[in-house]
Amino acid sequence: MSLERPTDRSDAVGVTEEGLDYDALADLLGDSVVSREQHRHTEAFTIRPDEVQDVLFALRDQAGFDHCSNVTAQEYEDRFETVYNLKKYVDPTQELSVVVPTSKDNPVSQSAEPVYRTADWHEREAYDLVGIQYEDHPDMRRILLPETWKGHPMGLDYNQEKPQIVTLEAHANPLEDDEHDAGADTMYLNIGPHHPATHGVLHIETVLDGEQVAHVEPDIGYLHRCEEQMAQQGTYRHEIMPYPDRWDYVSAGILNEWAYARTAEELTDLDVPDYAQVIRTMSAELCRIAAHMLAVGTFALDVYGEFTATFMYAFRDREVVENILEDLTGQRLMFNYLRLGGVAWDLPEPREDFFEKVRDFLDGLPHKLDEYHDLLTSNEIFQLRCANTGVLDAETAKQYGATGPVARASGVDYDIRRDDPYGYYPELDWDVVTAEEGDNYARVLCRLQEVEESARIIDQCVDLLEDWPEDDREIQSNVPRTLRPDDDAEIYRAVEGAKGELGIYIRSDGTDKPARFKIRSPAFSNLQTLPEIAVGEYVPDLIASLASLDIVLGEVDR
Amino acid sequence: MSVSEIVFQAGNATNGSGAANATNASAAGGGQTFPEILSGLLGLGPNPDPGLQFLFAIVGATLIAVLFLTIAAVGGIWGKRKITAAFTDRIAVNRVGPFGLLIIVADAVRLLSKEVIIPDAVDRPAFDIAPMVLPFSALLGFAVIPLGSGLQLADPETGFVFVFAASSLASLGLLMSGYSSNNKYSFLGGLRALAQNLAYEIPLVVTGASVVLFTGTLKLSEVVAVQSQPLLTIGGLTIPSWFAFVNPFAFVLFLIANLAEVGRNPFDTPEAPGELVAGYMTEYSGAYFVLLYLGEFLHIFLGGAIVATLFLGGPAGPVLPGLVWMVIKILAVYLFTQWMRSAMPRVRIDQMIEIGWKGLLVMSFANLVLTAILVGVIA
Amino acid sequence: MSSDNQPQTADAQTTQEARMGGGTDNRFNSKLRNAFGSSPFILTKFDSFMNWVRGSSMFMLQFGIACCSIEMMHTYAVKHDLDRFGSGVPRASPRQADVIIVPGTIVSKFAPRMKRVYDQMPEPKFVVSMGSCTISGGPFQKGYNVVKGAEEVIPVDIHVPGCPPRPEALIYGVAKLQERISEGESAPVTVKPYELQQFGDLERDELVDELADEIDRDTLVMRYNWNDSP
Repeated sequence: MSLERPTDRSDAVGVTEEGLDYDALADLLGDSVVSREQHRHTEAFTIRPDEVQDVLFALRDQAGFDHCSNVTAQEYEDRFETVYNLKKYVDPTQELSVVVPTSKDNPVSQSAEPVYRTADWHEREAYDLVGIQYEDHPDMRRILLPETWKGHPMGLDYNQEKPQIVTLEAHANPLEDDEHDAGADTMYLNIGPHHPATHGVLHIETVLDGEQVAHVEPDIGYLHRCEEQMAQQGTYRHEIMPYPDRWDYVSAGILNEWAYARTAEELTDLDVPDYAQVIRTMSAELCRIAAHMLAVGTFALDVYGEFTATFMYAFRDREVVENILEDLTGQRLMFNYLRLGGVAWDLPEPREDFFEKVRDFLDGLPHKLDEYHDLLTSNEIFQLRCANTGVLDAETAKQYGATGPVARASGVDYDIRRDDPYGYYPELDWDVVTAEEGDNYARVLCRLQEVEESARIIDQCVDLLEDWPEDDREIQSNVPRTLRPDDDAEIYRAVEGAKGELGIYIRSDGTDKPARFKIRSPAFSNLQTLPEIAVGEYVPDLIASLASLDIVLGEVDR
Repeated sequence: MSVSEIVFQAGNATNGSGAANATNASAAGGGQTFPEILSGLLGLGPNPDPGLQFLFAIVGATLIAVLFLTIAAVGGIWGKRKITAAFTDRIAVNRVGPFGLLIIVADAVRLLSKEVIIPDAVDRPAFDIAPMVLPFSALLGFAVIPLGSGLQLADPETGFVFVFAASSLASLGLLMSGYSSNNKYSFLGGLRALAQNLAYEIPLVVTGASVVLFTGTLKLSEVVAVQSQPLLTIGGLTIPSWFAFVNPFAFVLFLIANLAEVGRNPFDTPEAPGELVAGYMTEYSGAYFVLLYLGEFLHIFLGGAIVATLFLGGPAGPVLPGLVWMVIKILAVYLFTQWMRSAMPRVRIDQMIEIGWKGLLVMSFANLVLTAILVGVIA
Repeated sequence: MSSDNQPQTADAQTTQEARMGGGTDNRFNSKLRNAFGSSPFILTKFDSFMNWVRGSSMFMLQFGIACCSIEMMHTYAVKHDLDRFGSGVPRASPRQADVIIVPGTIVSKFAPRMKRVYDQMPEPKFVVSMGSCTISGGPFQKGYNVVKGAEEVIPVDIHVPGCPPRPEALIYGVAKLQERISEGESAPVTVKPYELQQFGDLERDELVDELADEIDRDTLVMRYNWNDSP
């Protein structure tokens, strides 16, 4: 637990005192690099589609890029392209983009799945939405859309007006084909998409051996509501901002808005006044508290049974946070408060009342957290249930691109607020919470401790805001009415959302709307670890493990 | 002083008149069962012809069944909501009638009037019988419980064995409902219920047997009578020798095993909302669901009645009539289960079996041996 | 009791007549009704009792889809406490639920599943659609994958607008539903695939009978042409 960044792996290729030496990296890859180009956040190497694995293996093993943060697929007029955004867990500011173009008539590219397990789902999504085929991929199926879907909706020639007609016969009937083989001792069980423990509309195909879980496969896409298409149809300045609220909808809205704000501001070179940064920091941390409360509450719901005391207490406390946020933003859940270059409006008048309300909440919080520790973490049966179940070790977490509390509870000391600073975080005094065990218990404990840290941040922000000189309260910088970033600029930026690294990739085409808008959702990657942590456990622990991953389907499916 | 002397004196103390008097209707209980009292009231003597005996038995059974169905309706529909709400800072039903009490009528009628869905490929007779087995096994158990104020349908020599036998019939109902529903969640729930009942039935009965060591009889009315002996007197306040005071260890063991037996937190694995949807009752709707739901609550009440009879002096208590005390004790145990439900996590099924076989079973036998030694020493 | 089936006077218009038009609905032809007259006292009272019962107490289906389900949970929880209205018992199994609150965006992959859940609920069942997405697709209306409202899939009794609606709004919606039920009203069931205009000369019941014969499993299709929907 510290703000000190862990020491860098200096033996990795290309690491220098000043930052990454891209020439050294290019030398490492040799002839594989076809060309180099500049993205807004980093340099990009273009490579041949049949050398993906070689290149990525070299980058992972010799240059230390152990975090495949995002995979974006997109279609140009003349080619398909897959962009791998690589990072390092020790230092996410060391980034590299690997661009893999493929031809229009044969859109086949080598899969990155053997290098980074997380690419499995990312590439399935790319196939589903854009239509690129990945060689060597273990399971090339649609992931978000129904199996019967015709066409790839993010492709350029997709005709949305054409009806999708599916015969009843073609609908996958969840009751058919699930009988186990005559000789096997296993039972196939559908958990979801309507099930009390799936936190929304997740479908988990489970194979049980007695009560033990023999095989788990999450089936997602039941809440795929075209968030990327929505963003690509909106203008930068105003029309995109309402949508991030609906990705991670458990009151984590401002954290998500910040992901878009950070990316778009860097793309269009906008400054944000300090005063607005402090307000952003404060409101974002309030959102984090609300989101973690929900995570703890629903975890209790799954471990305890029906709507029990802990769940209700969590909601009581969320209610307070939501009231504060409503005072600030005007909405309980979908805030739409951040603007490019600042925030929508200043703190509500009278300011003293608002500060008092926040302080009241912060003062009461330690007592409430004690209550949670009484009810949850210090309960013998709870410890019996959660300790040493659903264990996720650090290496596996990295392979799957897990971030946020899930990774931190596994001992991966990775927090973008500290490692790739933004907002007002670098000026404040707070700690990154980590744990070593990586089990369900550690994940819950991590969230509860992060609530404490968030409270510390909010406290300091309130202090700052109280003393802020009145004539310096600038809430928005000067932003042009219509934002038109440069043609063909590409950027990938991330913030620390409630569930982990929430990143956005934008490619602009000179108009006022993005040409490609890709969301890197933390829950999407975290959910991928479910088979790793749940296989071999009992059914109740599968449920508890799923709850401890704290997924939000709006963010998983987007 | 031998055990039988205690019993005899206790009988004297409670009944006043001692031996059963056929014509004295005011003699509440005391060796007389409820049908006998009924027949006595009508001036037919304790042993009218078998047809009448049967008739009175039916009348008595109906009365007791109605009483407990009413308590189950009040406790299960209204009480459950209110208690849970109190634990979670809420108000719960307050719009329908005073304190929301009319919700009992509304809920009961609505549930009964709903469509009963019989899913495809259910195992028909079993699917239909299961919802009846569950409540009736619980009601059957009440037949031998001395409820106070003379309400005891039958008082066989083997009452203790009968009540456990009747209540464990429920496992059969749970298994049937789980197995016949053609639903994997029900199936898992049914099997869990069976495994759980097997694991906890033995500690339950063995712990109960330690009480029998004290009393020396399986007859429940005598078990109650023994407990009315004063244990000690502190400042004019006489504490009766309820076995909860005599042997608190056994009492705690019994309560825990009982929680598992009725399937409440931390042992509500068979139903396990959140994991198994609704466990064995997932596929049941309408009237069948009502029966299962009722059965569940009746079982909690039967569990409470057994706890009260064996450990809390049965219907004994000052001022109020025996029946009222009995109901208060039963509801106290019910409140305890609801408290557990609100505050305790659920254990995993393997942990639960482990606790049953490796923990409770050993401790219940240890308790039995200890009690045997204790009783031997005192005697 | 006499058995006159005529409406008594022209001006004495009952609510039922005002709503359904004059004349007697010839579907009510049970023997009991014939024996006791057209508006037998006991049956009417029993009807209104049953309506009161259904309106006063309902089990909700524990059913979460998207953003609105967070506000729905808040409605069940401490501050708003939907249970005050006798409708705060969430049941996880559709077999035991009376009301399904549809809280969120429905997409093509989920629509058939939701229909299935709805079909599994026993009659009488009611649907509260919560939020803009279940009314029209809401902010995601233009999405290639988004169903334009819950009514495309299942009949809806009450729409609660908002994105998401506040808990107070949901409580109002549920209270309105209870009010409607206890007044004996039920929403007209519109099932999209039947083009009613084509069968204008048929009564509703006949139409269903007619169509039931025509349904052929091989030809039955589900259209994901959400764009053309109104």
